[in-house]
Amino acid sequence: MGTSDDDLPLGDPAESLALIERERANLERDITPDPRLMLWPWGFAWLIGLTLIFLRYGPGGRILVDLPGWLPLVTLMVLMISAGIITGTAGGRISRHVSGPTSRQGLYYGVTWSVAFSGLSVLFSRLSNQLPEAESGLLWAGGMVALTGALHMTGGALWNDRGLFFLGVWTSLINVIGILVGTGWHSLIVAVAGGGGMIVAGTIGWLRLR
Amino acid sequence: MSESTDPQITELDPVIHAQARLRVVSALSVLRDADRITFPRLQDSLRMSAGNLSVHLRKLEEAGYVEVTKTHHGRTPATLVRLTRRGRLAFDDYTAALRALLDPERTEDQ
Repeated sequence: MGTSDDDLPLGDPAESLALIERERANLERDITPDPRLMLWPWGFAWLIGLTLIFLRYGPGGRILVDLPGWLPLVTLMVLMISAGIITGTAGGRISRHVSGPTSRQGLYYGVTWSVAFSGLSVLFSRLSNQLPEAESGLLWAGGMVALTGALHMTGGALWNDRGLFFLGVWTSLINVIGILVGTGWHSLIVAVAGGGGMIVAGTIGWLRLR
Repeated sequence: MSESTDPQITELDPVIHAQARLRVVSALSVLRDADRITFPRLQDSLRMSAGNLSVHLRKLEEAGYVEVTKTHHGRTPATLVRLTRRGRLAFDDYTAALRALLDPERTEDQ
């Protein structure tokens, strides 16, 4: 497209409105972190990691699959750390191109996640030694999932993002159900409904932006 | 419908009535009030050449519709662009005018 062409006005208002919408959608997509990169890594971490925990530490202390005791937790930790790196990088790449209040909000929101998780980790590490293995596992998982749900809801409020808000509500709800049903089952419910929920939310978010 | 001879369409804001500048302003309208975007990001999104985008930004800057600031990200110089309040107002008026052209009855009712 040459400059001379660019300088021509569009004759048809409908065409102009379509052009406006197209450019707005393009930029929106360019300055929004890919929802797949923001949610899928966490969704798969939960789905895979917590399913392994369910298989090894099943309801009532049953061992459904005789995995080495350390394997499920190490897998979950590795997947969660990778997810943190992926989402941090994806979010950071966007904030290098936009400056101002929005990128500051994004930075503060990211830091909030880290600080909140670190705070709970310190508390749970101190408490979990004094609890039976199953209860300790429920404390960790239930606490972290509750925090994730609350932070997704906060993200929904911050970005005026209905999808993210409902993901938070959903996560909080299935967490409470899992806790009430009890140890073992909590892992399975959060793996499937929680991890699956994030994968679905990431997909919906991506389809909307496309 | 006649085009450039239509008196209503010639009344539209001449600064953003040019297709390229309408595209620039449309893209910038996505940013929230005080947010700025880097020049290369905007250029990518608009699929324009750097020279072409510079020319249009200068015209928009002269009209007071955009603000272009030079800054540094670490050691690398960066150019940041933002839509001014005046630019946003002009864009809103322009889209409202387009809608009115498409659907005159509805605007008469208002």
